[in-house]
Amino acid sequence: MKIDREQIQMVVALFVVAVIAATLLGLTNIFTRGPIAQAEKEALHRALTQVLPAHANDAQNDMFQVGEEKQAIRVYPGMDKTGHISGFAWEVAAPDGYAGTIRILVGVDPDGNIHAIRVTSHKETPGLGDGIVNDTGWLAAFVEQDLESRKWNVKKDGGDFDQFTGATITPRAVVKAVKGALGFFNTNRELMFAAAAEDKIGDKVGGQP
Amino acid sequence: MNKSEVFFDGFWHNNAIFAQLLGMCPLLGVTTSAENGFWMGAATVLVLLGSNLVVSLVRGVIPKNVRIPAYITIIAAFVTIVGMAMNAWMHEMYLVLGLFIPLIVVNCAILGRAEAFASKNSISDSLVDAIAVGAGFTLALVLLGGVRELFGQGEIFGMSVFGDSYPDMLMFILPPGAFIALGFILAGVNLINRKLKARAKQQAQLLQMQAVQAEAVEVGS
Repeated sequence: MKIDREQIQMVVALFVVAVIAATLLGLTNIFTRGPIAQAEKEALHRALTQVLPAHANDAQNDMFQVGEEKQAIRVYPGMDKTGHISGFAWEVAAPDGYAGTIRILVGVDPDGNIHAIRVTSHKETPGLGDGIVNDTGWLAAFVEQDLESRKWNVKKDGGDFDQFTGATITPRAVVKAVKGALGFFNTNRELMFAAAAEDKIGDKVGGQP
Repeated sequence: MNKSEVFFDGFWHNNAIFAQLLGMCPLLGVTTSAENGFWMGAATVLVLLGSNLVVSLVRGVIPKNVRIPAYITIIAAFVTIVGMAMNAWMHEMYLVLGLFIPLIVVNCAILGRAEAFASKNSISDSLVDAIAVGAGFTLALVLLGGVRELFGQGEIFGMSVFGDSYPDMLMFILPPGAFIALGFILAGVNLINRKLKARAKQQAQLLQMQAVQAEAVEVGS
């Protein structure tokens, strides 16, 4: 087969462009990897401070995992200065949001009452569904509740939680996910206390990923 | 073309939004507030500067048949770099803009500048063009974001304008509001352009009359 000069030129040109682009991307990745991890850690730290009851430890450092390898849930325990457990926080996913998965950080006290919830990522419609982030009154309805103290549904479905004007699917998904989180705590309660206690004496169960 | 002609052509006469209606996806997608619009515009300016610079640098080297894949590779590389940098140093805004950052790759306004301008002009002209087109795009994004934020939430850049009693007009935050607001903005731009044209015409007539008078005076003397 005869290959003329032009064809070789084309291949070489594209090859060189691709190599230079790949090199630039690799370098950028090296430079931004650290800051990105740092920014993510800070964002999580801010959320944890809001959802965990008063604590003195670095909850991210004491993180342990509960459950099977693949679906393991990362639990962040809060402890006071004496190592007494003040609460737990972990992230749950609501896959049935209006626009994709909503991730919610749920914090509970040792008795399983919600201390606070914060949405950590979502793609809901601005102005409608994003009330789950901005509507402090709506978020406050979760505080101090446990599985029995509320009917875990939006009002339209006969529950105790408000839906928003023009947005029912979003709060419905969040309420369902938070209910699931409380169920998770009830089934894994002993496990979590044990894991947190092990953390306390320095034996990391999960450790940093 | 000199530099100021290049600038005004990219910024106004050939504005990516107002004149060419390119890049509608980021325009309608992220402009729920003026701030979102501004940072989306800023990211686009950075990508345009990078891609225009490199495309102008390699013009004449890339064979004609493979220029489009080469340009797209260059643009995609810069978009990814800008995305990574935003993720690292502007984490919260990165989360807000989310998917729309990688989508800058398919903003035809950028490939358009690479193909129509940077591949045919000097490096300095291409950089001026990148700033001009980017600034024009940012102007459109901030304008639309501002209008939608103002009527939708009664705020501009997060600062209350109409007070707390303002009943939020949700429609302007939702996608239909983006189209309606854009329609009014385009009408406004056309109005301005018509005024500019009329004024230019008047001036031309004035100059012509002066020339005729001068001629008459010359003939008379």
